[in-house]
Amino acid sequence: MSRREAVTRLAAAGLVAGGVGAGALFFHDRRRAEASAPPIPDWRVPPSDQFPLAAAATGSDPADNVRRVVAVLGGMGRFVRAGESVLIKPNVGWDRIPEQAANTDPQVVAELVRLCRAAGARRVVVTDISCNDPRRCFARSGIAAAAGAAGAEVIESHRLKLVPAALTGLAAGLEVIEELLKADRVINVPVVKHHSLSRVTLGMKNWYGVVGEGRNRLHQAIDRSIAELGAAFRPTLTVMDATRLLVRNGPQGGSLGDVRAGNAVAAGTDPVLCDAWGAAQLGHAPDSLPFIQLAQQRGLGRADLKAIRQV
Amino acid sequence: MSWTRRIRVVYQAFFLVLFLWLLARLAAGDPRDLPFTAFFHLDPLAAVGVTGAAGTLPGPLIWGVALIVLTILFGRVFCGWVCPLGTLQHLVSRLLSPRSRRESLRVNRYRRWYALKTYILVALLVGAAAASLQTGLLDPLSLLARGLASGVWPMLPGGKPVPGGWLAGGLLLAVLVASRFIPRLFCRAFCPLGALLGIFARFALFRIRRAGEGCSTCSLCTFACQGADEPLGEHRVAECHVCLNCTDSCKDGVIRYRFLAPAAPAPAKPDLSRRYLLGSGLGALVAAPLLQAAGGGRGAARAELIRPPGALAEPEFLQRCIKCSLCQQACPTGALHPAIGQAGVEGFWTPVLVPRRGWCEFACTRCGEVCPTGAIAELTAARKTGYDGAPPVRIGTAFVDWGRCLPWAKSTPCIVCEEMCPTSPKAIWLEEVVEPDRHGRPVRLQRPRVDPALCVGCGICEHRCPVGEMAAIRVSSVGETRDPLNRMVVSVPG
Repeated sequence: MSRREAVTRLAAAGLVAGGVGAGALFFHDRRRAEASAPPIPDWRVPPSDQFPLAAAATGSDPADNVRRVVAVLGGMGRFVRAGESVLIKPNVGWDRIPEQAANTDPQVVAELVRLCRAAGARRVVVTDISCNDPRRCFARSGIAAAAGAAGAEVIESHRLKLVPAALTGLAAGLEVIEELLKADRVINVPVVKHHSLSRVTLGMKNWYGVVGEGRNRLHQAIDRSIAELGAAFRPTLTVMDATRLLVRNGPQGGSLGDVRAGNAVAAGTDPVLCDAWGAAQLGHAPDSLPFIQLAQQRGLGRADLKAIRQV
Repeated sequence: MSWTRRIRVVYQAFFLVLFLWLLARLAAGDPRDLPFTAFFHLDPLAAVGVTGAAGTLPGPLIWGVALIVLTILFGRVFCGWVCPLGTLQHLVSRLLSPRSRRESLRVNRYRRWYALKTYILVALLVGAAAASLQTGLLDPLSLLARGLASGVWPMLPGGKPVPGGWLAGGLLLAVLVASRFIPRLFCRAFCPLGALLGIFARFALFRIRRAGEGCSTCSLCTFACQGADEPLGEHRVAECHVCLNCTDSCKDGVIRYRFLAPAAPAPAKPDLSRRYLLGSGLGALVAAPLLQAAGGGRGAARAELIRPPGALAEPEFLQRCIKCSLCQQACPTGALHPAIGQAGVEGFWTPVLVPRRGWCEFACTRCGEVCPTGAIAELTAARKTGYDGAPPVRIGTAFVDWGRCLPWAKSTPCIVCEEMCPTSPKAIWLEEVVEPDRHGRPVRLQRPRVDPALCVGCGICEHRCPVGEMAAIRVSSVGETRDPLNRMVVSVPG
């Protein structure tokens, strides 16, 4: 064998061995098996003495009610800066039309989208995890059409990506909407209605809708779960839709006989105060609801109805 | 017999005995820290397969590099000198097939379809990278260990039956019997590990070479050629097991195993078809995602899919399990069994815990200690039991069947499940009731109830339940630590 051939063979063998070794070192323990849940951001804006913690408006035009309460709170420009992405979380839980009052009123959602757009939001996402077929819920609630026309990107539940959530106070194994964790600002827009287990479903309860798998376990300890979710998700703004009130057979309703005209909208930066207002609309003293008490004890807000400015 | 062959036989015997002895010690529950996983840690097929599937090379599997370097130096010496499955086939072909010289020549001729093993390798590796790790089905070390654990050990005195074990035992038997007709048929035509080593053997520095002068072309070299690599013709170094039967039998002394022996000219017909290579890769690209999506495995948690304690979440687990059965062999209660249908097509032969067969011993962490790939994470007893203060490692939850349970349904006192429950406080508690029997006489009964916040799913309750074939308390996988979505109650953290 010639020296050249010998050198070539040795070099080839050395190169292959080196390549295998380098590859092995590159991949060696490169990844751990356990994926860690990303933290849930805090979407609140700094508190201000200039503005009330919450405001409520009555009137037959839901969009006008929204404009008035947001204006009193400092205008949407206080909450959404130019270039930010906003996620609006209405209740689109059910295959119901607006008159049945099981979902957030589409005009309320659409007006919020317009205000965010006017404030310069780069992107406004409207989404929820529906209980019925999401295609039907988003269409029949009127929210897909109204919010889409107002300039929002409407994402129906089946197109959402879910990721593990860092909700340590509740059992592990809850998944939340990934879009939510990526948003700069979050506006929670519940509808005020009756609920068979927690008596009323309001703003903090509306967070059930960002939880995918595992949500059905939260009902075992509903009041504690609501308070835990309220502690985990700190929205920029909560907007309570009491345009129509579902007073019986919640949270799904169905009969128009269960619906009462509310003609009111409230908004605020204190989620507990907003829930207290919603409870009052349905005739419940805030202190009578265990989840509001728990949330107060945890310092998530104060259920002092006097702090609400009526406009 | 020359000294080279004698040394080789000593090596083969040593590694075969070592392999069997380690399995035997594992089954006997030897408390010493013996190198139970050594063979598998050296297995580059496991290393490459797991890396392809999981995107990471778990810890000690990096030893596979040593075997590749050894192959680059000496050729496929692993196949001829170390591999216990190769040795067993070698033994079968030698003991069971007295052959004429003509027949020996015929069975040891190279055949083009022996390239099948390389297509199998490509399909397995592409499949692993695409979706599903299945190298363990044909990895010779897994195949042998599994065949022994599921097929042979149950036959030994004191052995516990393994339902469905005949499949694994049968495959091993088929491999061995095939060697009676064509020596080392599995190595030559099917072994993906041999094919992988063959790729590196092409660069081997030591190799067989027939030095032209003085060869009488008597073909004696081919009579006992284990790899069917044609030492007399254009020697196929990728097929050669380096058994050195050829150098030994060459009476002209022209065949030698030498450092930097000149490479043989390329054979007239290439041994691999590009079309088939592409075909096997593309086939795996279709088949592997199909297995994953439609094979019924990973998608949702399954009641009867109870994995060993410390097992990773199902996708991660399936990316690492090489179906070697070491956990099964190590399980002191015989609780771990090769899955037949419980884990879907993809999870065929992966370990599942069958509580009626055995239970997960509360403080035992044996399966994780011997898992060569980390599919079952190694736990400490304190971690597993929760004595370290964190929640214990759960593998499922027990449920009482009120229709079968003696105190619940038959007015018959019994507390066996509660008595066996190892957690502290016990997950199974007893509700005292006084109930009339059929004659109206009051009977004091203690009805077992399960606290899901405390139950770890160990299954000793189900195992010891006196209600025959189907226990009156049964474990299903809900609540298992490894799957945060497979839960039942909200109040149990961890």
